[in-house]
Amino acid sequence: MLSSNNSQLPHDDEVLNLVFRALGDQTRRALLARLVEGPAKVTDLAKQFEMSLPAVGKHIRVLENAGLVDREIKGRIHQCSLNAGPLKDAEKWLVVYQDFWNDTLDSLVRHLRENPEIKDRKDV
Amino acid sequence: MHSEASNAIDQPSDEGPIYIHVRKKIPASPQRVFQAWTSPEELKQWWGPRNVVCSTAEVDLRVGGKYRLGNEFPDGKIVWISGIFETVEQPAELVYTWNVDLGQNNPASIGSEKVSVRFEKHEIGTELVLKHERIPDENIKSSHLKGWFGCFDGLLEHLEDA
Repeated sequence: MLSSNNSQLPHDDEVLNLVFRALGDQTRRALLARLVEGPAKVTDLAKQFEMSLPAVGKHIRVLENAGLVDREIKGRIHQCSLNAGPLKDAEKWLVVYQDFWNDTLDSLVRHLRENPEIKDRKDV
Repeated sequence: MHSEASNAIDQPSDEGPIYIHVRKKIPASPQRVFQAWTSPEELKQWWGPRNVVCSTAEVDLRVGGKYRLGNEFPDGKIVWISGIFETVEQPAELVYTWNVDLGQNNPASIGSEKVSVRFEKHEIGTELVLKHERIPDENIKSSHLKGWFGCFDGLLEHLEDA
């Protein structure tokens, strides 16, 4: 969606925001990781992740809205499967580095809290 | 991590490089933050995400000077990040190239990425403004980056195969 040949997507910004919101949660990343292995029923996901049906349903909806998960409904059975489409090369790069820098900068802040003073005057 | 970070992902144009912007307020002076960012001894204490230990840090802090950071993962694998300083303005700004070498002649990027860091004065101390930019290159596969974060291992692998 960052290249011109994906113009079929209505609002690139919006789609990317939805994808990032979806991936910004550990439980949802775990759900996606589970769906990498194959489709699963919502009830089974709830059991596996020790969550209530409404709770897991909420996460699935966020993933659905981002286009990362497809849901097939047969009677009472809701089956989820992974849709890799929205995650293009560029987004993968963004996701990896967003996590990388968030974590790294958190570590910097912790370090400076523990080591507040300038240590070596010759540099500064 | 529940950080004070406020992150914005900017939308690049179709033609231009893709990049991320990260801003973070830090309760320390720009001088102090700049020092922690560029001192090899300190980098070894804080650099990298949770699952990484910075085992080696070399910094030749001058325009044209090189840096090299060893990112050691729990399994012992070391991913090298290296580059050359293009701007060194103590204590306000750094610009450097960013190359990731995963070993086994398998570079994820060579000369195609750039990191700019500004250390801006802020009432709390410093606001760090970081831009990480990637110049599009068909030869570079982000697949090489898979495995940086355990939780994405399976997912990225799957997406590559899809």
